[in-house]
Amino acid sequence: MRLLQVDEINVSYGRARVLHDISMHLNQGEIVFVVGRNGAGKTTLLKTVMGLLKPWKGSILYEGEKTLGIGPVKLAQKGLRYVAQDKKVFSGLSVKDNIALAAYSNGVSMPEAITNVTSIYPKLNDFMENKAGGLSGGQRELLLIGRALVGHPKLLLIDEPTEGLAAIVIKDIFRILVHMKTENISAIIVEQNLSIVNRLADRIYVMREGHIIKEIDNSRQAEDSHELENYL
Amino acid sequence: MDILRALGFRTYGKKALPVYKEICVLTVFFLVLTPIIHMYRITDFMIFCIYVMSFDLLYGYLGLLSFGHVLYLGAGVYISVLFSIYINSNPLLSLLAGTLGGGIVAATLGLIVVKLDGASFALVNLAFSQIGYFLVTSTFQRLTHGTDGISSRVEAWGFLNFSDEYITFSFILISMLLVFYFLRKLTSSPFGVLIRSIKENETRVTFLGYNTFLYKWITFLVAGTIASFAGGIYTLYVQYVSPTVLNPLDNIDPILAVLIGGAGNLYGAIAGGLLFMMMKDWLSSHFAVWQWVLGIMLLIISFWFRHGFTGFVMAIRNYQRKKAVTYDQDGAQG
Repeated sequence: MRLLQVDEINVSYGRARVLHDISMHLNQGEIVFVVGRNGAGKTTLLKTVMGLLKPWKGSILYEGEKTLGIGPVKLAQKGLRYVAQDKKVFSGLSVKDNIALAAYSNGVSMPEAITNVTSIYPKLNDFMENKAGGLSGGQRELLLIGRALVGHPKLLLIDEPTEGLAAIVIKDIFRILVHMKTENISAIIVEQNLSIVNRLADRIYVMREGHIIKEIDNSRQAEDSHELENYL
Repeated sequence: MDILRALGFRTYGKKALPVYKEICVLTVFFLVLTPIIHMYRITDFMIFCIYVMSFDLLYGYLGLLSFGHVLYLGAGVYISVLFSIYINSNPLLSLLAGTLGGGIVAATLGLIVVKLDGASFALVNLAFSQIGYFLVTSTFQRLTHGTDGISSRVEAWGFLNFSDEYITFSFILISMLLVFYFLRKLTSSPFGVLIRSIKENETRVTFLGYNTFLYKWITFLVAGTIASFAGGIYTLYVQYVSPTVLNPLDNIDPILAVLIGGAGNLYGAIAGGLLFMMMKDWLSSHFAVWQWVLGIMLLIISFWFRHGFTGFVMAIRNYQRKKAVTYDQDGAQG
């Protein structure tokens, strides 16, 4: 079943055109990766899907409905979750309160939300009452992904989850992404770590200077993996 | 539905004192003050504390700095006085009218102002406060008697005789404790968590599916209504009002009180309200140019005690705890 269909969207920041006729799609339960060099427009693409930016041309269909003009609040209520690149949590709130925010917006009880998050990263149990601002970068990312998973989201948009993190944390994140795949949770992930991309992707979109220059299907990944490195 | 859930007044088992114990501590504290400071001054202080708590909800918890909060205090004052003159002299009905009337003003203006933030929020509120002042002094002069002021016609109702100092003190103490209780519950509920998260990063809150405008408007409405409640109580207490209660310059008072006490903390609001009023009283009776001294003291607070009085107390407590832990560890190693 087609969950997301992006058709020829064009996005500009002022006069600077950032996305040029981008088309992509995502089926229910798929994990799709977007790769490309810095400035390729990957984050802009995620923000546009999340309703934070409005394309001046093209259309986005989510569950068969047009999303243009629908803001991030409504889209979040429809099951879209966005985990931004900067790993910003609500640093003045406790870890528990950070989870509580997701619990209440999704109508999930607190114990269930905490179980949801700690089942994917049990160490967070030790920090529940601590201020989230005191967590390390990796722990913050895990909290953000865990929080986004509260309430059975339909589609996750994750921007560079492993960027700048230690190898041990990357392993944890990989484990969570594998868990998402087994649970049939759909996601569009912007990622530069090709070992993760190659192992998890159902499809890969390669971006350069605002264009999608290549679409690699799961079946062709092995033969294209060396070629992929050339795009980064 | 999420509002109802968010307003569910549930807490997550924090280690703080239970709220009833906090109320006992506050009651004892204000009663202990009575032999030291004259009762009518403490009554004044308590009304100001209610007003400061309402401002702290808006600024300390939600992060919206208003330069026009005095409008809601003034609205409560004038609506309750006019209600007592033209409609009913029952003190409780007059207080209710002032509170609801001010709440309606806050609800209406809130629809406009909560769309703004930062300097524009502060200044548009100031503009509304100026408009309120001129409405009272000029446009509705026939009704309000302009700068001459107007006397309330509130009468005693049962044992509620506001000419009696003790009854007035008790009524206002109970009112302050009720406001404290309500705000304590509200700020430690999911609603409180939500408004604190809006203060930190409003855009990220929208990613979670919350309509932040609605929550900001509710907070503005609650803050304005409580300020009007303080205004209504003030009317019962002084039984005379003049436009000075709406003086736009007085908008600075709750800001300074919250800064002195420590923003985002109801104890801070009460401590700040008390300290500010006491400083103002003491300085004005000892210095001809007391505003200068107050200004210098505020500069000191801003530079060296950024989290106010409660922040300073917390810092000392944390330091002592840290010292105790280090001492224990040293002992264990030895």
